[in-house]
Amino acid sequence: MSTILAIVLTTVLGVSPTLADDVPISGTVKAVDVDARTLTLEVASKGKTQVVIVYMKAGATVVRFVRATEPEKTGFVEQSVPLSAVKAGWIVSATTKHEGDREVAEQVTIVVER
Amino acid sequence: MRAKLFTSLAIVLGLLVGLWLVRPPATRANGDKHEEKGGHAHVPAPLEYADGHVPLSVWTDPAMIARGKAIYTTRCAVCHGDQGDGKGPAGVALPLKPPDFRDKAGVAEMRDNYWFWRVSEGGQVEPFKGKGSAMPPWKSELSVEDRWAVIAYQHTYSGHNGAHVPWEHPESVAMGRDIFAMACVPCHGVAGKGDGSVGPMLAPRRAPQPRDFTSAEFKFRSTPSGQLPTTADLFRTLTEGVRSSGGPMTIGLRGQRIMPSFRHMPVEQRLEVLEYVKSLNRGFWERGAVKTVTVPAPPTLTPERLTRGKQLYADAECLACHGERGRGDGPSAPTLKDNRNLLIAATDMTRPERFKNGARPEDVYRTLVTGLAGTPMPSYADSLEPDQIWELVFYVLSFSSNGPRAEKATR
Repeated sequence: MSTILAIVLTTVLGVSPTLADDVPISGTVKAVDVDARTLTLEVASKGKTQVVIVYMKAGATVVRFVRATEPEKTGFVEQSVPLSAVKAGWIVSATTKHEGDREVAEQVTIVVER
Repeated sequence: MRAKLFTSLAIVLGLLVGLWLVRPPATRANGDKHEEKGGHAHVPAPLEYADGHVPLSVWTDPAMIARGKAIYTTRCAVCHGDQGDGKGPAGVALPLKPPDFRDKAGVAEMRDNYWFWRVSEGGQVEPFKGKGSAMPPWKSELSVEDRWAVIAYQHTYSGHNGAHVPWEHPESVAMGRDIFAMACVPCHGVAGKGDGSVGPMLAPRRAPQPRDFTSAEFKFRSTPSGQLPTTADLFRTLTEGVRSSGGPMTIGLRGQRIMPSFRHMPVEQRLEVLEYVKSLNRGFWERGAVKTVTVPAPPTLTPERLTRGKQLYADAECLACHGERGRGDGPSAPTLKDNRNLLIAATDMTRPERFKNGARPEDVYRTLVTGLAGTPMPSYADSLEPDQIWELVFYVLSFSSNGPRAEKATR
């Protein structure tokens, strides 16, 4: 019995990381609901286009990367932007977790603003 | 003991099934955790981009590379990285990772027209859209020259000094070369010079003979006289084949074809083999912007236009080769030779199904404008006005007793 329990535990532990569910998605913003803290994205998956509503977790942030302005820095720096600043048509990415029926993100990254 | 074992196994199975069921549905996100190589895919550029070759001088032009660097730094580096490694801060979390331009082997496989297509259309087209590419299309924001410049700059990350062309990177046309070896070599020869072992048996001691892809002369074009064809022209010939009566080796070919139709070959394979065929002739990279002949809308066919067409047929000396009744039996017909000094028959215009360059009115118009390079058939682009060419087209097609069939006939 203990062997079987060990197998079960091993299986569950082994499979768990796969199901940790941190799935990267990217898509074009179709709508922003500041009150509901949601982003409606049009994403493509396996040849099909679909609409995914991303819920922003409490305290979740939207970030963009901009060139550092300090003379000694050459790379990019992260800059937080309010959800209300996100516009339809922009391309964003997020790593979401599946919670119930929802796709929940802790951070949304703006890829292209246009 | 056995009952306990079965119970335990059932629990294990139940757990696994349960875990499988709570897996996120495939539709919930576009992420593919196994996409490691980024947006590069082994697909040929579609026909509308197939002639989008980057001019040879661009790759090593310091001014263009500097121009490309300025664009890359402001628009591309946030995903593709300042080092071209595909690890820009906005790129690391993307489901489809940006490619690593430092990957010499990966870059060598990317043809210049593929690269131009990717930058132009981004992730808006398949197969990249379906993979969840976040790459924006740049065609509306960057000029053609800007796109060339940014590609030339990206190319510098690979460490290759020189033009990014198939004769520098033979691996970029390897698939097409393999298809060519299987399907084309018997007629067109190993080096594509039209000297395959089967060629002489197609039409013994007379034209047409298999095309020499290394020469500048291509008969079936939509480009002006003296120019190389478009990739779409080559694709049309490959797809439709070439109609003509031939020798014993053509008996098995359907529809009186001296070159078979490859319409059953998948489109991507046809495009791949054409990329290899073009690589045999550097002129495709040296010609600059590709111009094609415009076929204006036809005027209404009237008896007056047909009469003028008949007069033009005489004035333009068409009857010298094609004969008064269009049967290809004009006084000059028996002596006609092509540029290989092989006897060549004047087309019998009463048989539109044998028109090698197509029998639709617009096909005949195009043939009159472009001529057929390497044959006695000249271009009338400089000697006839568009209306006159249409009148001649009407008259040529009137030779066919099955007029309506002629209009419907395709190559």
